[in-house]
Amino acid sequence: MVSISLRDVSLDYPLYGAYDFSVKRRLLGRLLNERSEMRTIRAVDNISLEAGAGARIGLAGPNGSGKSTLLRLLAGVYPPTRGRMQISGNIVPLIGLNAGANLDFAADDNIRLLLRISGHKPTQAVVDEIWAFTELEERMRHLPLRMFSSGMLMRVLFATATAFPADILLLDEWLSVVDEKFSAKAEQRLLKLVSMAAIVIIASHDQALLRRTCNSIINLDQGRIVRTIPLDTYSARPFELEEKRA
Amino acid sequence: MMTPVNDSAPRLSVLHIFKVYYPDLFGGTLSVIRDICAGLKDKFAFGLLVCSSSSGRRRIVVDDVPVERVRSLGDLMSLPVAPTYPFRLWRRISQHDLLALHAPFPLADLVFALGFGRKRPLVVHWHADIVTHAAMRRFVEPLIRRTLARAEAIIVSDRALLDETPLLREFADKCHVVPFGIDVSKYDRPTPPRLDLKVGHDRGRLVLACGRLVPYKGFDVLIRAAVGQSFEVWIVGEGRERARLEALIRELGVGDRVRLLGSVPDRELVKLMYIADVFVMPSVTSAETFGLVQLEAMAAGRPIVNTSLDTAVPHVARDGIEAITVPPGDHEKLAEAIDVLIRDPERRQRMGLAARRRAMTKYSTSLFKQAIEAVYLDAVTSKAEIPSGRAMRSETAGLAGAVRIAATLAWSDMRHRYVRSLLGPFWMSIQMAIMVAVLGSVIGHLSNASAIARLPMLALSLTAWTFLNNVVLDATTALQNSAGLIKDRALPPVVFLLQCLFRQALFALHNASVPLILWLALAQTNIEGCIAALPGFALFVACTLGLGLVLGALATRFRDMKPIIESTLTLAFLSSPVIWTAEMINPTSTVMRLNPLTHLFAMWREPLATGHVAMTSVVYALVCAAVLAIASVVTVMHLRKAAFWI
Repeated sequence: MVSISLRDVSLDYPLYGAYDFSVKRRLLGRLLNERSEMRTIRAVDNISLEAGAGARIGLAGPNGSGKSTLLRLLAGVYPPTRGRMQISGNIVPLIGLNAGANLDFAADDNIRLLLRISGHKPTQAVVDEIWAFTELEERMRHLPLRMFSSGMLMRVLFATATAFPADILLLDEWLSVVDEKFSAKAEQRLLKLVSMAAIVIIASHDQALLRRTCNSIINLDQGRIVRTIPLDTYSARPFELEEKRA
Repeated sequence: MMTPVNDSAPRLSVLHIFKVYYPDLFGGTLSVIRDICAGLKDKFAFGLLVCSSSSGRRRIVVDDVPVERVRSLGDLMSLPVAPTYPFRLWRRISQHDLLALHAPFPLADLVFALGFGRKRPLVVHWHADIVTHAAMRRFVEPLIRRTLARAEAIIVSDRALLDETPLLREFADKCHVVPFGIDVSKYDRPTPPRLDLKVGHDRGRLVLACGRLVPYKGFDVLIRAAVGQSFEVWIVGEGRERARLEALIRELGVGDRVRLLGSVPDRELVKLMYIADVFVMPSVTSAETFGLVQLEAMAAGRPIVNTSLDTAVPHVARDGIEAITVPPGDHEKLAEAIDVLIRDPERRQRMGLAARRRAMTKYSTSLFKQAIEAVYLDAVTSKAEIPSGRAMRSETAGLAGAVRIAATLAWSDMRHRYVRSLLGPFWMSIQMAIMVAVLGSVIGHLSNASAIARLPMLALSLTAWTFLNNVVLDATTALQNSAGLIKDRALPPVVFLLQCLFRQALFALHNASVPLILWLALAQTNIEGCIAALPGFALFVACTLGLGLVLGALATRFRDMKPIIESTLTLAFLSSPVIWTAEMINPTSTVMRLNPLTHLFAMWREPLATGHVAMTSVVYALVCAAVLAIASVVTVMHLRKAAFWI
C-alpha cells in the first residue's frame, strides 16, 4: 500500500546565525555566561495530511510559505520536530533544480551516476532513451555539464529524473527554466508519470498547471494549511482532450 | 505414514515470543498464551521461544506445544538476562509464518528494532507497559516504538489500555481490542451455588486473593486491611515477596486470620473460588492491566473488590455492578468495602450472579478465539499484499543502500581522475615516491641505520597516513559539497562521509604501489607477518572511518572546526611515528605513549616488522576504537539534522 499520513506534524527550522556556526564563539559564550537562545522558525505548522494511491496534491502559496520545506520533510531530508509521519512507498524527490549534477562530468556519466544513485541499472538502452528525450545534439553527450546552458542542463536532469516511475513523486517548480517547446513535452511526460505514480505532490506558483495535474490543491501560508480545494473530475477533462490531440 | 486429514490446508506456524513460560512460572500472561495455543490448535501450529534460568532441558513440550527455553543467567529489573536469546530469535524467525510477541519484552524488541525479521508478519500482544522500572523505560521506549511501528497489528485486552498508554495511541489505527476469554464451564455445577450450603470455614467470612507475590499486586495492602476486622484472608500464590509478607502478618498480629497458601493447582483453585465469599484484587500499579484472575472469580460467581487503576481492571468488574472499586493502596477503604460485602449476603449473591453473567457474555472463550484468529490471519495476508515498492525503498534507505550509493559515487570520482589525465591518481603515487625518496635520504643522514632498509616501511606508513589525513580533510567539506544531493534528492548525509572513505581508499590503493614495489625489491616478504598485521590494519581503517564521520559532521556543524582540524592533523603527523620510528627517538617519551596514533600504527607495523605487537598498544587501540565507535553512533544519530547545517 502506498500511502502518506501526517498527523499534527510540525517542523521548527533552526536559524543558524554566523555565531551559531562557531564552536569557539559558543565556548566563549559559555565562559562569559552568555545564554544564547537557539532561534527557530516554524516552517511547517501542525499539518495533518492523508493521501492514498491516486492522490495528486498541488501545494500553492507565496514564497516562504513552507512548500519546499514540506516536500523535504516528506522526502525525509528534515526530521519532523513534532507529530507522527508514516510513509510507505518508494519516494522520488525532485526538489531543487540542479540536484546532484556534477558539472565536471560528461552528461552521459552524470546520467549514469544519477540512475545508479536512485537504484536503477543504467543500461545503454535506457541512457539512449533519456538522451533522445532531451532532444540535444548527440555530440554533447560527452561534454562536461559545465558547458551546458541552464535550460539544457534542466533538460538532461529532468529526462533522467523522470525516466523511471515512482510510487511517490515530489516535485518542486520543475518546469520554470526550460523553453516553451520542451516545457510542453515535459509536462506531458510529467502527466504520464503522474498517471503511473500512486501519489504525486507538486509545489508550484503556476495555478493553471496545478489545476491541470492535481485533484486537490492545498494552500499554504506561513507553514499552515489555509485551505484545501478539492478539484472535481471535470477540470481534468479538457487536458485529456489536449493530450489526445497532441 | 498418514498425515492428519482434519485440516485441508497446512496449518500456519505461529511463534509466541515471551520471557518465560510454564513450568517456570504461573500467571495471567502465561495462561493467555496457553489458551491461545490450546484454543486455536486446529488452525495454527504453535511454538514458543522463552527464557529459563532452570537447568532443565532446552526443548520441552508443554500441553502439546513445543517450547524452546533459552538459558538465562537470572533476572535483572524483571527481565531475564539471556544473552543468546536475540540470536535464537533471529534464527527462529524464518521458520514461522507469523510472530506473536507478548510485550513488554525488550530483549525481543532489540531484534525487531534492528530490522531483523522484517519480512515476517508480526502481531504484538500488549499486556502491560513498563511501569516498575521507569528509568529503563526511557532507554527501551525507542525500541518498543520501532517494534510497534513495524507490527501488523497490536492486540490489547481493553479499550482503557489504548486510552491510557500514549505509546499505543500513536499506533491507534492498528490496535485491536480483544478482551480475554474465560472458560466459564469449569465453574459449572450440577446445582446452582447456594449461599447456605457453604462448608469448610466460618460461614460468610472468607476473602480470597490470588496472584504472584510481587509488589504491584498490593497484597500488603490487603494484609493491612485485615487488621481489626473479622474476615479471613487466604492468598494464593508464590513469589519473592513471601518473606516480607510473612513478616508483615506477624508484625500486625493477624496470623490467625491471614494465610499465605502458596501455589495451588488449577483444580484446587476452582474449589477455593467456590468456598470464597469475596474475591479481592488489591493491585496498586498499572502493571496490573486486566486482572485475569478476577475474571476467574467472576466466572465462579464471586463478588469482586478491585482497585481504581487506569487500566482494564475496574472495567472488567465494574463498581457497583460486579465489584466495589476502591482507590489503590488505601487499606482503610479496602477493609470497608470487604466488610460491606461480608455483612450483606444478599448483595454478595446479586453481584456474584451479575459477575458470572458478564464473564459468560462479554468474556467468552469463543469470542476471544475468533478475534485472535481474525487478527492473526489478517496480519499474514496484509503482509503478503505489500507491493515490491516497499522493498525497494528499504533497499535504498538502509545502511546497505547508503554503502552502495557511497561506493558508486566514490568509484565514479576515481574513474573521473582517469578521464582528465592519462595516469589518473598515479600522479599522486609519483608524488608519493618522490617524497619517500627525499625523506628516506634525509633520515639516512639523521640516523646511522641503513636508510635503504627503512624505505619500504617508510613508504607504507606514508601511504597509510595520507589515507587517514585525506579521509578526515575530505570529510570536513563533503557534506557542504553534496548539499544538492542531500537536500534535493534526500540522500542520507552519511553516504557522503562514507564516500570520502571509499574514495580515499581507492586512491590509497594507487599509492600502495610505491611501498609494494619497494617491499618486493628491498625486503624479504614475510607472509605470516602480513597476515598478523591484517586485524590491526582493519582496526586502523575502522578508526579512520570513525574519525571521518565524527570530524566531518563536527566541521559541518561548526565551520571554524575545519582550520582547527587541519592544524591538528599537521601536528599529529609530526608527533606520530610516521616518518620516524620509535627506536630513532626515546621510545618512553610521554607524548609518544599518549598519542593514540602511535598505537594505531603499531597495531599493524609491529606485526609486519617483528611478528608480534605489544599488549599496551592493543589495549590502547581497542579503547580508541570503542570511543570512536560510540562517537560515531552518536554522530550518525545527529546526522539526521545535517540538512539544517548546509
